[in-house]
Order: sequence, then C-alpha cells, then structure tokens
Amino acid sequence: MRRYLSLTRASFQEWMAYRLGFFFTIIGNIVYLGVAYYLWSSIYEHSTVIRGMTFNETFIYVALGSAIFILLKTYADWIISHEIREGIIAIHLTKPLDFQLYSLFSSLGGILMNLAAISIPTILVLTLVFKVQIAPGPGLFLFPLSLFFAVLISFCFDYFIGISAFYTESTWGISITKDVIITVFSGALLPLQFFPDTIQKVLLMLPFQAIYHTPLMMITRPDQGWDVFGPMLVVQAFWILALFLLTRLYYNQAIKVLRISGG
Amino acid sequence: MRSLREYIRLYFIIEAQYIKARMQYRADFIISSFGMFFASLSSLAIFWVLFESIPNLAGWSLMEMVFIYAFYMLAISPMQILFDNFWQLRFHVQEGTFLKYYFRPLNMMFYYTSEMFDLKGLTQLLAGIILLIYSSVHLNLTWSFPRLSLLLITLFSAALVQISIIVGASCAAFWVVNAWPVLGLASRLREFAPYPMTIFDGAFRFTFTYIVPIGFIAFYPSQLFLRPEDVSPLIYLSPVVGIGLFAITYWIWSKGVNSYSGTGS
Repeated sequence: MRRYLSLTRASFQEWMAYRLGFFFTIIGNIVYLGVAYYLWSSIYEHSTVIRGMTFNETFIYVALGSAIFILLKTYADWIISHEIREGIIAIHLTKPLDFQLYSLFSSLGGILMNLAAISIPTILVLTLVFKVQIAPGPGLFLFPLSLFFAVLISFCFDYFIGISAFYTESTWGISITKDVIITVFSGALLPLQFFPDTIQKVLLMLPFQAIYHTPLMMITRPDQGWDVFGPMLVVQAFWILALFLLTRLYYNQAIKVLRISGG
Repeated sequence: MRSLREYIRLYFIIEAQYIKARMQYRADFIISSFGMFFASLSSLAIFWVLFESIPNLAGWSLMEMVFIYAFYMLAISPMQILFDNFWQLRFHVQEGTFLKYYFRPLNMMFYYTSEMFDLKGLTQLLAGIILLIYSSVHLNLTWSFPRLSLLLITLFSAALVQISIIVGASCAAFWVVNAWPVLGLASRLREFAPYPMTIFDGAFRFTFTYIVPIGFIAFYPSQLFLRPEDVSPLIYLSPVVGIGLFAITYWIWSKGVNSYSGTGS
C-alpha cells in the first residue's frame, strides 16, 4: 500500500508545479457558474418547479456538476495511451506493481489537487455570491463517499480508453467519444429528471449516472432517508466491482499484442 | 516575397504529406470522425431535451436555437479543419520543435498553420450544413442569392473571431510554461457562443460583446437571418470585428515568435 501511496504523492507534487494554471481553471469555472445562473434563470422564468426540481436545486446540481467535471479530469486515458505509444510502459512492466493500481494511484494525486483547487472556490462562490443554501441531512455526509465512488468509476472508463491504445495506438477518437457519452448520459450537464421518462429509465440502468447523478442527487436532496441513499450506494459499489474486473480482463487480453521497438 | 499562387501550391504539398502521415492510425481516424460528428450534436441534444420542459428560451424557439447552433458549427469548422495545429503549439514551444519553423523562407504563421489539415473536422462541417438545412426548412427561411452571400460573409467574420480567440490564447505558450489552462479557458468561453446573448446582462453581456466577443461567433449574426427586423446596427460591424481581432492576434503571434529563444538544447 505504501508503495502505491507514494505514487499519489509524486503525482500530486507534479500537479503542484502547474498551480498557476489553476488560476485560469478557477476563473473559467466562475464564469461558467455565472453563465449557468443566467441560463437557468431564463429557463425557470416560465415556472418555479420543472420536473419536480426547483431553481435552487437545479442550480446547485449544475454548479457542483461542473466542479466534479474538473475534479475528475486526471487525463489518465491520455497519459496511459501516451505511455503505450511511446513504449514508456515497458519500464512500468518491469516494476513489481500492478498496472491498474499503479494508474489509479497516480491519478489520485491529480484528483486531490483538483479537489483543493476547485471545490473550495466553487463552494465559496456558490454561498457568497449566489447565496445558495444547502439543506441539512444525511446526504451531506454521504456525498463525499459517493463522490469517491464516482472517482473510481470514472477512472475505470479512463483506464479502459488508455488500454485501448494497445490496439489503436492513438486514442484521440475514443477519448472524445467517451467524453461525449459521459457528459450527456451521466446527467453532468442536465439533471436526469429532465430527460423523457423512457430515456431516463434506460440511463438509470447504465453506469454513467453513477458518476454524476448519484453524488449530485445526494447533495441537492440531502434530507432523504437510507431507503433512498442505501440503494444508490449499492449500485455505485456494484459498478466499481464490475468495471474493475472487466478492465482487468481487458488489460490481460490487450497486453498480448504489445510490441515495443527498441530503446 | 512569394506570390499567393506559390503559397497555395505549397499549402497542398505540405497538406498531402500530413494526411499521409496521419493515416498510420487508421482505426483512430475512423473513430475520431464519428466521435467528432456526435460531439457536435451532443450540446444540441441537451437543448432538445430541455425544450421538452420549456416552451422557449428567452423567447427563442427550439428551431431557432437549432439554426443558431448550426451557424455556430459552421463558424467553428474552419478553426478545427485549418488551424488545428495551434492546439499543439504549447508542445512544440515547450519541447523546442518549434525552432524548425524559423528556418524556412516562408511566412511562419502560414507554414505552421499549413502543417495540419484536420480531416475529421469535416464531419463537424457536415453536421452544421445538415442542421442549417433542417432548421431552414422548419423556419421557412428562403435562401436567395443575396441572402446566401450575406450568410457567407457573416460566417467568414464569425470564423475569424473564433480563430483569433483560440490562436491568440494558444500564443500564451510563448510566455508561460503550461499554456493549457489559458487555451482551456478560451475554448470553454467559446462553448457559450450558441446561447442567446439576451439571457445575460451587466458584466457578462458586456464581456461577451466587447471583450471576448463570442456573441459575434453565432448569436448576433444569426439574428440577421432569424429576426432581421430587430437587429442592432452593431451586427454590421462584424466583419470589422473579425478582421480587427485577427490583426491583433497576428500581432501577438509575431511578438511571441520574436521573443522565443528555444529550449537551449
């Protein structure tokens, strides 16, 4: 375990070198919050409740959704595919480390950095500028756990795309397609409640909703009971297990086609 | 100085080489083309879902939004297809491979730009054309020759605005080590271009009209075709805005190119 944690520390320090960049990311997110505020205000000019959600709930959902979006950006898919294409992966294969865990713990450093840099300014702007109030309830305490689960699920997708480089070398296309599918189907931009009922039912059965919809519902409606939150966490846990196993099997298959041409 | 004809000939020669090199990742190329096409339609899908619950957005109907979005797609395609290399500028500058552009008797921006031609960006252009025709039919818009010419002129200016913003942002690479956040911020701002600018007020409307004029990428020029009766005279300035912005960006680029001193290796 200590070996893996040191990977997290190293990647955290690597990201620290780019801390000036976070200044721009934070500005970008504050502008986004403003745009979202205006956009949703004009959407809610016709009625106070749309699809069972008030303006306040939707705005918290969308605003924190954008913060999670930045949080999950570790570029693990780009890094892994780069390592495979350039043959750097050969170095990793000689180490006594599991490649999946190696990639996961390296990504966690970026996530910790994002967490510190993005969540604090976003919450400050939400409460101070937009005067948003979050209702108390058990959901507030379960939100961090659910968010951690979301990180693991999101990592599985990135890892899957990265590994695909064994077959396609460049993974630009799959990465972009994955981003599109996740942002639309996970409820990252629009709460799933807004989708037509049948589409919504289908989306709730897919793993994508466990990345954004689940943690965001916990924080927008925190005053619900275990009968609601319990199953949500179980579904997330199920997807973590399933996706970790599937990507492991995929890796074992994909590694067989690896060719590295000299040093 | 080389003649324009010579530049055009060179452009095709450099391009052909690039496309040949690109084809080595064939599977990725095919997936990329599809991915790009669906990525273009994804924001529109969000609008479509949203309009299930609301009658209009600040007075704009779904079909009008589709038209504005189609205009946006067409306006951002030239950047994607012709100027794609600027997304890589920060790597070239950081790793020192940018030095090679100094050693050719060519205009540096021309040489740098011509080195990449993004074939998959053509699917974005295609998505824009399909959506433009689709919304025109639903909105009963007729395309006479003068109106078509107006469309081309406004698209040209809109494309210049958007190219200037992204290329200008990419030039940050000449002065800071990691230029990605600047570029990321610019491309994030660009994504707000298809929203009706009338939903904003105060500082946001001012910024999107005068400072980072993303309003000129899609919303303001689209009004000329959707609601010509209540167009503000400001719109007729759009070619000036486009050319002016590009001139500023070219000036920034020249400054950057002159101050770059390589990586020392």
